[in-house]
Amino acid sequence: MSAHPIRSGPTSSKPARHAGFYLALLLSLFAVAGQAASGNIPRLNGKPDFSGIWQTTSAAEFDLEPHIGREDAPPGPGVIEGGYIPYLPKALEQKRKNFAERQSKDPRVKGYTLGVPRMIYAPYPLQILQRARDITVIPQYGYSIRTIHTNGTRHPVEDNDFWLGDSRGHWEGDTLVVDVTDFYDETWLDRAGNFHGTGLHVVEHWKFLDANTIEYKATLEDPDVYSRPWTLSVILHRHREKNFQLIEDYRYTLPYDQYYPPKKP
Amino acid sequence: MSKHLRHRAIALAFLVLPAAAVLAQQMPPAPGTQERPQGSGISREISFPKIAEGKWTGPRLADGQPDISGHWSNTIANHNNFTDPQGGIINDPSPRAQRPGGPREERAPSRISDPADGQLPFQSWAAEKVREFQANFNNPIKPEYVEPLARCAPGGVPKSFYWHGYEIRQYPGHVLFMFNNGYRLILLGGRPHLPERLKLWNGDSRGYWEGNTLIVSARNLNGKALFGRSGEFFSENATVDERFTFANDGKRYNYVAVITDPTVFTRPFTVTIPARRYTEADTPNGWHYEASPANYDGKALLHERHERICHENNGGFGSPAVISIPGQKTN
Repeated sequence: MSAHPIRSGPTSSKPARHAGFYLALLLSLFAVAGQAASGNIPRLNGKPDFSGIWQTTSAAEFDLEPHIGREDAPPGPGVIEGGYIPYLPKALEQKRKNFAERQSKDPRVKGYTLGVPRMIYAPYPLQILQRARDITVIPQYGYSIRTIHTNGTRHPVEDNDFWLGDSRGHWEGDTLVVDVTDFYDETWLDRAGNFHGTGLHVVEHWKFLDANTIEYKATLEDPDVYSRPWTLSVILHRHREKNFQLIEDYRYTLPYDQYYPPKKP
Repeated sequence: MSKHLRHRAIALAFLVLPAAAVLAQQMPPAPGTQERPQGSGISREISFPKIAEGKWTGPRLADGQPDISGHWSNTIANHNNFTDPQGGIINDPSPRAQRPGGPREERAPSRISDPADGQLPFQSWAAEKVREFQANFNNPIKPEYVEPLARCAPGGVPKSFYWHGYEIRQYPGHVLFMFNNGYRLILLGGRPHLPERLKLWNGDSRGYWEGNTLIVSARNLNGKALFGRSGEFFSENATVDERFTFANDGKRYNYVAVITDPTVFTRPFTVTIPARRYTEADTPNGWHYEASPANYDGKALLHERHERICHENNGGFGSPAVISIPGQKTN
């Protein structure tokens, strides 16, 4: 599926004289309809404007791979192109260990920052706020805010271990392409123990299917963990409930929040 | 060293660097301000200018909001001591404690601007709780004597405005405060607050602009964040009405908030916190301006702010202690 831009009109100054133009225009319109409702999507400075509150309805968070229902997960067909993550043998062992210990070892259980791409398909709302220079992603779960820089800056020269990685985006037509590096290895990809290492490199493609629907794709590579790059894809739906808003979810504070504030004797 | 540890090391370094070295990295005072001759860490101004509410003549965003986006930090002190901001941690036994000498007026004023005595109008039971916290803070034998920020809890209102520096981003209908630990998203316009029973660390904020002043009502606060290492607090019944008044040159703002809580106090009181902007003209530092040069082709220096993680890296800002809690990793 191409995500490349479509020229919306002729470039010749006298196109109407040529019958071929009308045919080209017609084909162009079909192409537009086949790819996205690019005429109807919100825009900011000419680029798609993803501002809003979004959430997936997929079961990706529970297990990226195809799975039947179990006590801690609804069934799901999986969200990976080709079905399964191409783990290297040693990594597959680790994944199985993670799965066995998932109830306690999943960083989510402690209320930790979910990381990228998990924060996108976790089953909680996330708010996107957009400027020309950057796109800010606020997940309801946790307190960590992600910035996708779209101002032509590159990844930092030095190596970093970021829970959310370092995100640099650019526009390819109406698709936002984000390159994410500088990861830490303590985040998981889902509740089933799927994981990555510090060598993770994610390339995301964000595009509108219509004004209220985003197609999100992430290609993950990590030569220490996977035998080849692999791609997951989910759909994000816009929250349109009246006055819908994020409600802070700082649940990592739960072990101690009963001690505050002091109570009147 | 990885970045997340490095950030923490920077913060710690500021605690142990000689005071003169710290001051050398800080900016010259703005006109109308006075600096402390010595101090450590975040301490700086001992007085600050008032900013009158009125017209905004500075730049505006496309949606008409005054453009105040960027990096900001308070100019006085951190959360060691709420009513004597440069007075150091109360009862601090540490040999490197900042021990205030000289008369009170040589230090920055109380953050309480009303009542005039600078003291919080606590009911007697609440004043007793604060004394108990202060007496036990340096040897917290019970969990409630640990300042919540030492566990990386969100800073809450108003403490978030005098911890580390923070970034403000603006969007149509929104003003976003990005603190090192949590955020506040001010929704502009007349939408109702969340249902009253929902209580949150950073509350629920609604606001609007009037000239140079962002007027915010903070509700749904859970009262858990405390005001700092001196242990003052309000309850889950508090309301906070905030006015962020920006100077038209865009360099400073004053935060003035009226806090009302009949559960804990005998009357409403007013908190005032001065702040200044940080830009590429400033040297990044571990308290106020944790920025790094962006990697890009432009010639001009461009700063950006990297990820801030407190909780996950167990980098508690723990003076003096972070105690172990079952199910909770600590340092």
